[in-house]
Amino acid sequence: MLSSLRTRSFVALALLPAVLIFLVFAIIPIIWSMYYGFFDWKGLGDPKFIGFKNYEMMLQDPIFWRALKNNLILVASAIIGQVPIALLLALLLLKNNFFNRIIRSAVFMPMVLSTVVVGLIWGYIYHPQIGLLNQLLESIGLESWTRAWLSDPKINIFAVSIPINWANIGPYLIIFIAALQNISSEVNDAAKIDGAVGSKKLFFVTLPMIWDMVVVTIVLCISGSLKAFDHVIIMTGGGPAQSTELLATYMYNNTFTVYRYGYGSAVSTMIILISALLIGLNYILTKRRS
Amino acid sequence: MQASTKMQAAGEKPAAWKKPVGLVLKVLLLLYAVITLYPLYWLIISAFKTNQDFFNRPYAWPMQWQLDNVVRAWDLGNMGRAMLNSAIVTIVALVLTIVIGTLAAYALSRFKFKFSGVLKGMFLLGMLIPIHSTLVPLFIFMNKIGILDTYWALILPYTAFELPIAIFLGIAYLVSIPRDVEEAAMIDGNGWWGVFGRIIFPLCLPVISTVSILAFLRFWNDFSFALVFINTQALKTLPLSLSLFSDGFGTDYALTMGAMFIAVIPTIVIYLIFQEQIMKGMVAGSVKG
Repeated sequence: MLSSLRTRSFVALALLPAVLIFLVFAIIPIIWSMYYGFFDWKGLGDPKFIGFKNYEMMLQDPIFWRALKNNLILVASAIIGQVPIALLLALLLLKNNFFNRIIRSAVFMPMVLSTVVVGLIWGYIYHPQIGLLNQLLESIGLESWTRAWLSDPKINIFAVSIPINWANIGPYLIIFIAALQNISSEVNDAAKIDGAVGSKKLFFVTLPMIWDMVVVTIVLCISGSLKAFDHVIIMTGGGPAQSTELLATYMYNNTFTVYRYGYGSAVSTMIILISALLIGLNYILTKRRS
Repeated sequence: MQASTKMQAAGEKPAAWKKPVGLVLKVLLLLYAVITLYPLYWLIISAFKTNQDFFNRPYAWPMQWQLDNVVRAWDLGNMGRAMLNSAIVTIVALVLTIVIGTLAAYALSRFKFKFSGVLKGMFLLGMLIPIHSTLVPLFIFMNKIGILDTYWALILPYTAFELPIAIFLGIAYLVSIPRDVEEAAMIDGNGWWGVFGRIIFPLCLPVISTVSILAFLRFWNDFSFALVFINTQALKTLPLSLSLFSDGFGTDYALTMGAMFIAVIPTIVIYLIFQEQIMKGMVAGSVKG
C-alpha cells in the first residue's frame, strides 16, 4: 500500500500533528521531569545538579510516606468499595428493563459532574456546623458520632475516600453488566443442569467467567486512585497539617506553594514509578491466580 | 425461563419467596439510587434558597424559590465569563482532538509501515501516564515558550491527553469498515485527502460522536490543568472559578450553591440527552486505557 510517494506523504502528514502534539505535551514533559528531578531549582536562576539528593530527601520526609499511605488507603477503599458494590449492582441490574435502566443512569450520574462540584458538595455535607451529615446524626440521636469529618486526622482520609467512591462506581457497573451479558446462555443452562444455583453458581460459574473484567477494574481502581487530586485540593488542600496529603497534592504543594521545582519533578517521577510498580504487581498477582 | 415456569407449575418453594424478595431488592436499589442522587438534589434545592433558609431548614424545599443566588453568582463570581472561557477552550480542543485524532487513526489503521507499531505503543503508553506527573514539567515548559496563562496552555495539553483514546477508538471502528468503499473512491479520482475528507470522516461520525462526548466532559470538567496553568482572572474556566468559592466567599453558602448550579446544568443536560452513549463511551475509553 505504501508504494507511491503520494501515499507516503499522505501518511506522514496525517500522523504528524498527532505525533507532534503528543510528543511535546505528554512524552517529553515526562522525560524532562526525570531530568529536573536531579536538580535543586527554585524556578529562577540556574538549576544546580545534586544527583539523587531529592530522592533521598523524599524518602526521609515523613509527609511523603504519609502521602503514599493515604494514596494506598484510597486504592484499597476503591478495590474494597467500588468493585464489590458495582458487581453486586450489576448482578441485580442485569436485565435490560425500564426500572433497571433508570437505576443505572442514577448510579452513573455523579461520574459526569465536575470533581470541583463533587468536592464542594461533600465539603458541605461534612461541614462540622452546617453539614448535612452531622445534622442527620443529631436528629437521630447520635450526637456523640458527630465530628469534624475533614479535620480529624484519624478519619479524614476515609471521609475523603467516600465521595471518590461515590462518583466512580458508575463505569464499573456498566463494565460488569456488559461482561455478565456476554456470558452465553449455554453456560448458564449447563450450570443449571449441573445443579449450580445461587451462590454456588455465582462463585463457580459467573465470577470465573468475568474474572478478566474484575482484573481490568482493579487495574482501573489503582490508576484512578493514584490520580486522585482534585477532590483533596478542594475539600482539604491536603491539610490540616498535611494529614490528607496525597502524592499528587504533595508534589503540587512542594512545587507551587514553596517553589521547589526540582523536588516537585522528582516527586512526579516517583508517582510514575509507583503506579507502574502497582500495575505490574497486580498483573503478576492476578495472572497467577487465573 | 422454561425451567422457572416448570418450578412454578410444580408449586416449589422459589415461586413463593421470589416475589417478596424481588420487591425488597427493588426497594433497596431504589434507595441506593436516591442516596446517590441526593447530594445533587440537595445542591439544586439549596441554590434557590436564602442563606437563612439554607441554615435553618437544610433538608426542606425552599420557602420561596428565588433566583438571587444564581444571578449574583453569574455577576459577582464571574461565572458568565468563566462559562465563556470553558466553552472556548472546550470547543477548540474538541475540534483539534477530532480532526487530528481521526486522521492519525485512519493512517494507523489502513497503512502498514515501519513505525506503525512503535507509534501505537507510544499512544498506548500515553494512556497510562498519570497526568498529574506532567503538571510541573508542562508548567516549566509552557512558561519557557510563553504560552502559560493563555487559552493554549489548556487547549494543547487537553488535546494531547485525549488523542490516545480518540485514536484507539477510531482504529477499532475503522478496522470494521471494508476497504472497497475507499478503493472505489480512489478510482473515481480522489486522492487520499479527498478519500479521507469525503468518505472516511463522514463514515466515522458514530465514533466521532462518542469521542466528542467523552472529550467534552473531560475538558469541561478539568480542574488540575486549569489550576496550575491559568492565573489571570479573565481566563479562568468554570471549575477553577468555582473552586475559588470554597474559601473566597466565606459563609455565603447559598451563593456558592448558585454558582455550582450554573456549572452543573450544562453537564446534566448533556448527560440526560446522551446517557447511553456516555456510559458506553466512558467504558470503552477506560477499558482501552
